[in-house]
Amino acid sequence: MTIKVDLTREYEALVEAYQREGLDTSLFGDRIAAIIISGDKIIGLNNVPGVEIRGEEIEKGVRAEVKIAEGVELPFPIHLCTGYLKSEGYQRVIFDINVGKNSKVRFTSHCIFPYAKDFTHEAIARIKIGEGSSVLYDDEHVHGEGVRMVGKTEVEVGRNARYTGKFTLTKHRAKELKLEMVARLGERAVLEIETKVKAVKDDCVEMKEVAYLEGAHSRANLRSTAIAFDRAKVNVINEAYGFGDYAKGHVECHEIVKGDADVQTVPLLRVKNDKAELTHEASIGRINEAQLIQLMAKGLTEDEAAELIIKGLLGEW
Amino acid sequence: MLCLRNVEYSQNGRRILRSINMTFRDGMSYSILGPNGAGKSTIARILMGELRPTSGQVLLDGEDVTGLSVTERAKRGISMAWQEPARYEGITVRNYLTLGGKLKIGEDGIREVLELVGLPYELYAHRFVDKSLSGGERKRVELASLLLLKPRYAILDEPDSGLDITAGKLIEVILDRFRKCGTTVILITHHEGIALKTDFAYFVCGGRIVRKGFSQEVVDYYRKTCRRCSFAEG
Repeated sequence: MTIKVDLTREYEALVEAYQREGLDTSLFGDRIAAIIISGDKIIGLNNVPGVEIRGEEIEKGVRAEVKIAEGVELPFPIHLCTGYLKSEGYQRVIFDINVGKNSKVRFTSHCIFPYAKDFTHEAIARIKIGEGSSVLYDDEHVHGEGVRMVGKTEVEVGRNARYTGKFTLTKHRAKELKLEMVARLGERAVLEIETKVKAVKDDCVEMKEVAYLEGAHSRANLRSTAIAFDRAKVNVINEAYGFGDYAKGHVECHEIVKGDADVQTVPLLRVKNDKAELTHEASIGRINEAQLIQLMAKGLTEDEAAELIIKGLLGEW
Repeated sequence: MLCLRNVEYSQNGRRILRSINMTFRDGMSYSILGPNGAGKSTIARILMGELRPTSGQVLLDGEDVTGLSVTERAKRGISMAWQEPARYEGITVRNYLTLGGKLKIGEDGIREVLELVGLPYELYAHRFVDKSLSGGERKRVELASLLLLKPRYAILDEPDSGLDITAGKLIEVILDRFRKCGTTVILITHHEGIALKTDFAYFVCGGRIVRKGFSQEVVDYYRKTCRRCSFAEG
């Protein structure tokens, strides 16, 4: 890993934040392709054979290009670390990711803003996946109390390619979160998106996931889970468009509300091909009564039962 | 001793249960036998506290527990396996059985109950208790959960429904295990063969107790009369 000498302390502070949060610090090792960003600086960069990461510092942020060659299969994830260690400010990061044909890669993206009180993070990702490739993009966030985040991801999934995207923000405040993900699928392409968010206090969350099933036999599964407590507001929009022959899409949204929280889900399914098929499943409201009662019959209080169920939904076990 | 005293239950003006009196003595096993719609599951839910009777009492060792919540009754040793066990996303069988770690049970204990209900530990401990389990598998997990809890009273609502042809044998194994733990089993069923595996039985039809006694006697009566019974008409 090449670390800028004058930014060693920031680098160390980020590693410490990883340790505190129980995140995998081995991702900072030399065998891992990585870009480490703090504020508007690139403080660490590492390339491995088959992966070329180039970064450029722009006004209040960083733009990075990640190129994966054809036929690359990596034993370790590519680490995209975006940190901001001050309490106030603005940061913009732009990632252009291009995956060549027949490659298989994982990205571990961490956004670390542990001290944020009045901070805006804007993230734009454009991901292009070549024919026959498989990409897993795991996005985990560590937020302080005051983060406004605007994230926009565009994914192009090529013929016979697969994209799996996971976004998790369950252990920290969402505060103001606006996420948009738009994916276009080629022939026999597969898309799987899983988003899990917990909103508390006066957090305001908007999530929009859109899949255009353009290719024949393309498949998409969009799945969102949101838990809203207190006075939080959550709005989830899932859209799927069936254009290709035998395209198949499923959108699923589960939202649980506790306290005075306000949640809504808006599914939109549109088919322009009589061979395409789209389905939708949603549950919204309080925790299912039968689930609660059956755990209470084992001696748990209602709150303990709810906690167990929510932990399960958020994948915290 | 757990009792129902003069329990009545009505819903939307319809009388579901009429003058139900039942007694469940410690260490014995009981069936509540009857056709579909007889009110069996309503009795189970009243015993567990999920439903409150319109009138009458639930007594535990002579104390009126009618007003106690499900949790409070569970803490006093009453537990239940529902006919349709709920599914839980993201919770593994292991976590479900230990109630998220609240029950301090080692791996050997978990392995033992899973294998007792016919689910090999290696294949099931880390599966999710969600819709990926078949109805029969989910049912078996629920029975394993009650075996681990070792409640004083285990209410099993249609434990054999959704299970394969080995259900009868499984129920025998479960009853034997509960008997050894001193658990009183209250088994809801519409299968005479299953009811025969318990010590005593109540035959319920049209929301009333039609017959009570040793299981063999009650089952014989059920076989003779059930299809001709006018109570089923309401």
